[in-house]
Amino acid sequence: MIVEISHFLSLLATGLFFLAGYFSLFVSSTSYTSNLISRTYSQAFLLLASSFLIYVWLAVTDNFSVEYIANHSNSALPIFYKVSSIWSAHEGSMFLWIVFLSIWGFIFNIAVNNNDILKPKTIGIVSFILVGFLLFLLLTSNPFATILPIAPINGADINPVLQDPALAIHPPTLYLGYVGFVIPFASSLAFLINGDSNIKWEKSIKKWSVMAWVFLTIGISLGSWWAYYELGWGGYWFWDPVENVALMPWLAATAFMHSLSVSIKSSHLRIWTILLSILVFSLSLFGAFIVRSGIIDSVHSFANDPQRGLYLLAFIGIIIVTSVLLFISRFSMIKPSSNIKTLSKESFISINNILFGTLIFAIMLGVTYPLFYEYLFDQKISVGAPFYNAIFIPIVILASLFLFLSVDSKWSRGITIDLFKKPIAFSAIFSIIFVITISFLFNTTDIFILLSIFAGSLIISRYFIEIFRYLFNKKYLNPYSAIAHLALGLLLVSISFNSLLSTERALNIKLNEYEEYEDMKVYFKDIKLIEGSNYDAVKASFNIEDEKGNNFNLNPEKRRYFTRGQITTETAIHITPIKDIYLTIGDQLDDGSWIVNIQINFLIRWIWFSAALMSFAGIMLIFSKKKSNI
Amino acid sequence: MNPIRKKRLYSILFVFLFSVSGISLILYSLNSNLDFFFTPTELKNNIIPPEKRIKIGGMVLEGSVERNGSKVSFVITDYENSIKVIFEGIVPDLFQEGSGVVALGYINNQIFYAKEVLAKHDENYMPPNIDIENDS
Repeated sequence: MIVEISHFLSLLATGLFFLAGYFSLFVSSTSYTSNLISRTYSQAFLLLASSFLIYVWLAVTDNFSVEYIANHSNSALPIFYKVSSIWSAHEGSMFLWIVFLSIWGFIFNIAVNNNDILKPKTIGIVSFILVGFLLFLLLTSNPFATILPIAPINGADINPVLQDPALAIHPPTLYLGYVGFVIPFASSLAFLINGDSNIKWEKSIKKWSVMAWVFLTIGISLGSWWAYYELGWGGYWFWDPVENVALMPWLAATAFMHSLSVSIKSSHLRIWTILLSILVFSLSLFGAFIVRSGIIDSVHSFANDPQRGLYLLAFIGIIIVTSVLLFISRFSMIKPSSNIKTLSKESFISINNILFGTLIFAIMLGVTYPLFYEYLFDQKISVGAPFYNAIFIPIVILASLFLFLSVDSKWSRGITIDLFKKPIAFSAIFSIIFVITISFLFNTTDIFILLSIFAGSLIISRYFIEIFRYLFNKKYLNPYSAIAHLALGLLLVSISFNSLLSTERALNIKLNEYEEYEDMKVYFKDIKLIEGSNYDAVKASFNIEDEKGNNFNLNPEKRRYFTRGQITTETAIHITPIKDIYLTIGDQLDDGSWIVNIQINFLIRWIWFSAALMSFAGIMLIFSKKKSNI
Repeated sequence: MNPIRKKRLYSILFVFLFSVSGISLILYSLNSNLDFFFTPTELKNNIIPPEKRIKIGGMVLEGSVERNGSKVSFVITDYENSIKVIFEGIVPDLFQEGSGVVALGYINNQIFYAKEVLAKHDENYMPPNIDIENDS
């Protein structure tokens, strides 16, 4: 009964969103209609939000007459996971995705004054997108379907690898990021529809874009962190198709924010800014399509259903084609009045826009090429890490060099770059010495690793000089830019050292014996059967003595969950600032020994720390009162 | 030609050449880094050079898993043809005899040296191109 109320409320909300969209785009605009649109949107939002809250209540109270809840939750789960079970599969996560989309629209609706000339159109576009996705939800993936007349006594449980705090909050964070770009997207379309090039709309969407970018950054990092400790493969990035479809909007969003800051200052790069706002949102939608259509085989993909894929593809196609046509028809309006000066800050940002575009193009190719190839040649192929590394490493190094040079550049005017100017020369000399030292110290001649360390070191040292000048000479410093770019430098250095130094080996050890690996002694002390609330497990106990004589215990497990019989590996990780010692346990051999996989992962914490630092810079900007540039 | 047009022509030419060379570089790198997927039967019908990284998929033949130290060897089969696989490391949690598996690595003298062994995190996963009812 209650589920029908929830279902009915979403249907009503769909209708009201349609009205809001209709009023804003097809009825001539007056102050009366502006108020009407705003109010209609808010009411629709409240209906949808209540519908979702009722649904959460159904999940918490174990209402297994709802088919989706019966299939993905279980009465033995803690409340936290009963709630997160809602987004553990397609229907529920799509519902959440839509609710988040409507929340962004709602906050925009109450934060922006009704007199704002672009507001009604922006709200209207958001409403129509919501209608499209709500219809998709209700027609092809109904989360409200019930099992009648007799509901099962208990649910089927959620996949145990998903029963993890990081993974419970990873999808919502990522979704908030994806759909957050609906605001810049809808605003730039509203600007194009309106057709008055004097409106300074860019400024008003700056904080919205940064906020969505922060969610996206945190969401991706949480996923990477979870995969590291939960899947038992080690590593922080696998170039899995679903990781790739999250990385594309992130890259586009990063380029978008930089273009936006140029457009705010001088109305330059407006073409880039608008095109990128369309691109970011389209890529977010493309991600939803890839994950939900099942056309790509991935760890993350949901069960496939061609009907869903077709609907999504058609709807996304309509959105993209409409916005691109609108863009082309208004092209003359957004053409810049003057050219960008060579070697100005704008010129560096546009070069890096091109480089980011290349990266996005390469990922898109890597994700879609196997599909076309199989269709054309009936041969399955896959594109793995070697391709992405071959593209990313040189382009990221190049982009970092441009970033390094841009620190000295000025807005709207060219500079003469003097390579012997103090800060540039100092950073360059410092970085060269640093790289040569590293090369000798670790006995490596891997040119790409050394160049990446060089690029990272250039950025870090250059921004440190800027911070010093700010502290002692009171020179102007944009703190958000400085922190975010320092984080980028740190990311480059950590990734390079990680791939340079990390090692891995499978050992086989008998109980009460030890093996040596990389100056460490791994003692196998104990192994026993233990029982958890919804699984049983073998739990091993190892004592590791490192080269300095420090001792610590690591207890990896192998679990078998009762409800699905699924086996999972629980890693044991000893964390130090420099390296992680990472243990997983495999199978027992005939001679009684066990296979133990040991990894030493260098600077891996710093990779996530860099991402956190970038997000922190974004959060600082959102909460700053001062008007500033990125 | 007047100088402004000439300048414009040059810049268009430059952009064109630049993007063409960029795209060809990306495509070249894509082509040299593709991993082709084969079933044991397809493997038999193709000659694969030993330096070419490929993926093979099929079922782990019952009774074929042998362990020797940290090395594990098994036979991947599509119940028509088979190939022996040698792998050093821990096989994934869902790896078991009679269930589906995908391995990434190099083939040499009819033996496949796997660098990675994958089993999907889905108990009902079947490797592509194999249509056998899996009742486990």
